[in-house]
Amino acid sequence: MEGSSSQLFDDDQKSSGASKFLFNLPSRGHLSSTVISSNLGGMRVYICEHNTSPPESQHIKTNQQNILIRSLMLNDKNGDSSSKDVKAAAEGPRKRAAERVMDSRASAKKANTQGSSQPEGSSSRAAEKDYHSLTVERLRALLKERGLSPKGKKACSLDELIARLKCVNGSSQKSE
Amino acid sequence: MSTWNYVVTAHKPTNVTHSCVGNFTSPQELNLIVAKCTRIEIHLLTAQGLQPMLDVPIYGRIATLELFRPHGEAQDFLFIATERYKFCVLQWDSETSELITRAMGDVSDRIGRPTDNGQIGIIDPDCRLIGLHLYDGLFKVIPFDNKGQLKEAFNIRLEELQVLDIKFLYGCSKPTIVVLYQDNKDARHVKTYEVALKEKDFVEGPWAQNNLDNGADLLIPVPPPLCGVLIVGEETIVYCSANAFKAIPIRPSITKAYGRVDADGSRYLLGDHAGLLHLLVITHEKEKVTGLKIELLGETSIASTISYLDNAVVFIGSSYGDSQLIKLNQQPDAKGSYVEVLERFVNLGPIVDFCVVDLERQGQGQVVTCSGAYKDGSLRVVRNGIGINEQASVELQGIKGMWSLRSSTDDPFDTFLVVSFISETRILAMNLEDELEETEIEGFNSQVQTLFCHDAVYNQLVQVTSSSVRLVSSTSRELRNEWHAPSGYSVNVATANATQVLLATGGGHLVYLEIGDGTLTEVKHAQLEYEISCLDINPIGENSNYSHLAAVGMWTDISVRIFSLPELNLITKEQLGGEIIPRSVLLCSFEGTSYLLCALGDGHLLNFQVNMSNGELTDRKKVSLGTQPITLRTFSSKNTTHVFASSDRPTVIYSSNKKLLYSNVNLKEVGHMCPFNSAAFPDSLAIAKEGELTIGTIDDIQKLHIRTIPLGEHARRICHQEQSRTFAICCLKNQSSADESEMHFIRLLDDQTLECISTYPLDTFEYGCSILSCSFSDDTNVYYCVGTAYVLPEENEPTKGRILVFIVEDGKLQLIAEKETKGAVYSLNAFNGKLLAAINQKIQLYKWMLREDGSREIQTECGHHGHILALYVKTRGDFIVVGDLMKSISLLIYKHEEGAIEERARDYNANWMSAVEILDDDTYLGAENNFNLFTVRKNSEGATDEERGRLEVIGEYHLGEFVNRFRHGSLVMRLPDSEVGQIQTVIFGTVNGAIGVIASLPHDQYVFLEKLQSNLRKVIKGVGGLSHEQWRSFNNEKRTAEAKNFLDGDLIESFLDLSRGKMEEVSKGMGVSVEELSKRVEELTRLH
Repeated sequence: MEGSSSQLFDDDQKSSGASKFLFNLPSRGHLSSTVISSNLGGMRVYICEHNTSPPESQHIKTNQQNILIRSLMLNDKNGDSSSKDVKAAAEGPRKRAAERVMDSRASAKKANTQGSSQPEGSSSRAAEKDYHSLTVERLRALLKERGLSPKGKKACSLDELIARLKCVNGSSQKSE
Repeated sequence: MSTWNYVVTAHKPTNVTHSCVGNFTSPQELNLIVAKCTRIEIHLLTAQGLQPMLDVPIYGRIATLELFRPHGEAQDFLFIATERYKFCVLQWDSETSELITRAMGDVSDRIGRPTDNGQIGIIDPDCRLIGLHLYDGLFKVIPFDNKGQLKEAFNIRLEELQVLDIKFLYGCSKPTIVVLYQDNKDARHVKTYEVALKEKDFVEGPWAQNNLDNGADLLIPVPPPLCGVLIVGEETIVYCSANAFKAIPIRPSITKAYGRVDADGSRYLLGDHAGLLHLLVITHEKEKVTGLKIELLGETSIASTISYLDNAVVFIGSSYGDSQLIKLNQQPDAKGSYVEVLERFVNLGPIVDFCVVDLERQGQGQVVTCSGAYKDGSLRVVRNGIGINEQASVELQGIKGMWSLRSSTDDPFDTFLVVSFISETRILAMNLEDELEETEIEGFNSQVQTLFCHDAVYNQLVQVTSSSVRLVSSTSRELRNEWHAPSGYSVNVATANATQVLLATGGGHLVYLEIGDGTLTEVKHAQLEYEISCLDINPIGENSNYSHLAAVGMWTDISVRIFSLPELNLITKEQLGGEIIPRSVLLCSFEGTSYLLCALGDGHLLNFQVNMSNGELTDRKKVSLGTQPITLRTFSSKNTTHVFASSDRPTVIYSSNKKLLYSNVNLKEVGHMCPFNSAAFPDSLAIAKEGELTIGTIDDIQKLHIRTIPLGEHARRICHQEQSRTFAICCLKNQSSADESEMHFIRLLDDQTLECISTYPLDTFEYGCSILSCSFSDDTNVYYCVGTAYVLPEENEPTKGRILVFIVEDGKLQLIAEKETKGAVYSLNAFNGKLLAAINQKIQLYKWMLREDGSREIQTECGHHGHILALYVKTRGDFIVVGDLMKSISLLIYKHEEGAIEERARDYNANWMSAVEILDDDTYLGAENNFNLFTVRKNSEGATDEERGRLEVIGEYHLGEFVNRFRHGSLVMRLPDSEVGQIQTVIFGTVNGAIGVIASLPHDQYVFLEKLQSNLRKVIKGVGGLSHEQWRSFNNEKRTAEAKNFLDGDLIESFLDLSRGKMEEVSKGMGVSVEELSKRVEELTRLH
């Protein structure tokens, strides 16, 4: 059948109108009689006397968990890997597509304004959001507190400072 | 009391909503599966055509029907979802021929707004999940595991709220849906999503397309290798995929259905709202789409579903007209159409209105429906029973018997018709001009009455007269042998087949002869104690020329006996009881079961099953067919044998589903009948009735007979007028040309031919809303009254209408009077010699006044406000029952003294009504738009005004059908002596083309049947595990409640189709014998 359709348009000149499209219609040998009979016996009315309940496991119910809570929990499970895809997916239902596109660019400012309106996600994500909202001085103080090097400027190496802090956070959480 | 009601379907729904093709019943077999609202039909494709297999009732209205093939399966499974949020997956077990439930479940959500555009159910082409869109903003996923088992379902938030269509895309590594939706600025877009099963969420899909055709309504996914999707709009068709976008303009049309032709998806059939069938072709080079082409093929019924079957044959399922089987021809016919209609499947839907009439004045109702819509509109005459279509007739008085004979043993056709009179026998034959003329068979004695005639072997004919048996050559027509009755005895009754003759003389002598080549041998003689009244030796065994059994009916002891042949030994004797002698016996075989039928002199018929090996008679049943003696004869139609019972109420006896059924014939009184299968009149019957011999053909043997009168326009209201023998209809015609305008007409039709004899066109924008035949006080004339509305495009509700009064004169509609109204006249009723109209929110009474100049006019008398829209009105005495658009039923009363209409009571539920009827003085029946029926009762004995002002809901039932009209009446002849004859019935007609009967039963019978119903629920299981109790429970947006005071007759009557073992199980549960149960249920089947 695949072959037939490409041949369809070879002989445009021979036939007009729909004819050229109407040959080679699929046939599997049914309804091949020249006279299609309309009287091939009656229709039996089906009376179902056997048990019709499905196998035990195939009685399908809907997961009743709220969609938002479900997505948050799923996200929590995948928290450690916390890849950007998952995060986008988790936030997906709550946001319009356009916002999501913005999100994936993840500008610091955007995160800044959104941070407070976000519901409590995984703790590491919340912490990350907090760091972004802090001044360089505050970050340095935090670094000092944890015995880390406070070197570097916010403008160029903010991410670096945060990374340093996160690193510590991660290890401390694990040790707890 | 009409509190206890029994609802049964007389004509099943015929509106085809879905269809699909696949290997369902076996890996090798190809099936067409058709959904007709609450039933599915399974057909098998064979070389000869479509072979019907099974008609399966489903406990739900089918919302989606899909065939799919899970991994590792050899044949397809059927997925069905119902409108009440149940789904099931069915598999055919070819060993047991049963439908197995693979999975089922409830997919409803506690919160959620049901979708406006209908439910969507789709299955991923790679069988990874089932997708359902049931509520706005939610997409439900039922995933498959890798073994093809279903897992727990979950919802995904879908941003698009106004979804028009969703389909799965082919050839995607992750399951991907394409969503066609409308945004809040009414622009339409498509968008794709991948379904991430693990995350239970959507991921932005590979592509999207904004700002489509504003009429885009349908998505067609294209299978590999092309993939992508076709978006069908009203003015364009677009092919869209991740890397291609092709569009073509089309003639403005709304595409209603599509069917894929090729497995590779390069050709599609599209059916539009006007019934035009187009072929859409995707032109492509290798796997790259180069463009689209569309070609008009021809016209079909307006399609709701299209399934390409095989070998250029296509099934067109229709909701608005007959479904069709069509063939696509490569060359156009004279009219340029490539479509050839092979077969039509009758569809009565939508039944917009109907009336019950007795055109033949036989005491049996016929239903005349306004069926179909738009160009497929028609009138259908639905009659219970079988019609004889007269081909020729001659006047002949005093016929005593008739037989047809062939001119040689192997001639397929009959040549002679032997007609016997009291003192002579005449022979008629077809001459060369195919006319019936008198001839002679020299060897026959034509000076006396013939008792029996038959073809015999060796090209011979047998004639039995009172004195002798004559054997005559059918070629030379000369006498070859003769057997004489002993002197002093005359033959009273006789019968014969091709090789045997059995006759009885006075004094109870039974003589058995055998026919040889030119010989008649007396083989056996027996003397019985009483006179013999009737005989039969119709061969029903393996040998079609020789019978081993003889049935004999007796005088005096009123018995029927079975003798063995040739020994003439008595095998069985069955006392018939009573004092009425058997007048006719017949051995016959239906669907492989042998029966003995025995007709009594008082119009009763007994039937027994005959055990062919030992001659035992079992399963005795008795029915009443008429009041006069019955003569039984077999005949065949379409290669099946049936029995014709001639009497004052001629009946055809046939078998269906191994049950004997009795259908009335549209003739008044038939004395004798014999099959006459001549070359000129094949498969015909010769019928002797009052002074006349008629040759006629018989309709298809089925319970309901439907005659179609195509109108080519949409009939909306119908009414019959006895006096002028006419029908009047309100109808509308769509002007195919100028900007979709429609014209409305009142047409007058002759009630016999149903031809249009007069037309009255209504004004532009004027719709016919109601029609009535009535007369007024102080006026003997009968009029047609028509209520209309001016439906102006700028108005939400019509503010102007008219009441027109016509009289029929010389077959013409003459306008006598007209009256302008302040709104649409939704209903008209004759009321105390006046005219009662429902006009928008008002009930208005008009009187018929004689003016001074002798002309007539309609004058306003009084009215009643207080409805949203009074759509349906019924009256009884001074009571008026109003069905409101959204405020259920209210009861009004007309007070003569005050000349005022007042409200008496109302039902305070918010039901959106679709029909009302008055069952009796206190009980009213309503149907509403959630497919429920309910009854309310007037509470006259209430203690307070508040109680008296409330209509109490006493019955509730989910019918699952949208009722458009109730009418009192019956489809069957009422026999005064049967219990069933006393039962009041109401007929209803629905959008799906179903006709049903609601019977008000006496309380004890109701209680009995309710018990039977609950017992049957245990034995008859719902297909797909769906529950009958849930299906019949009253259900609307607000609440669901168990059905009460209504019984499901369809379930109860399926008792008769149960296997014996299950019948006994039910009988045990009921504590009533199977025979008694069968008898009581069979009685009920005679209500419709």
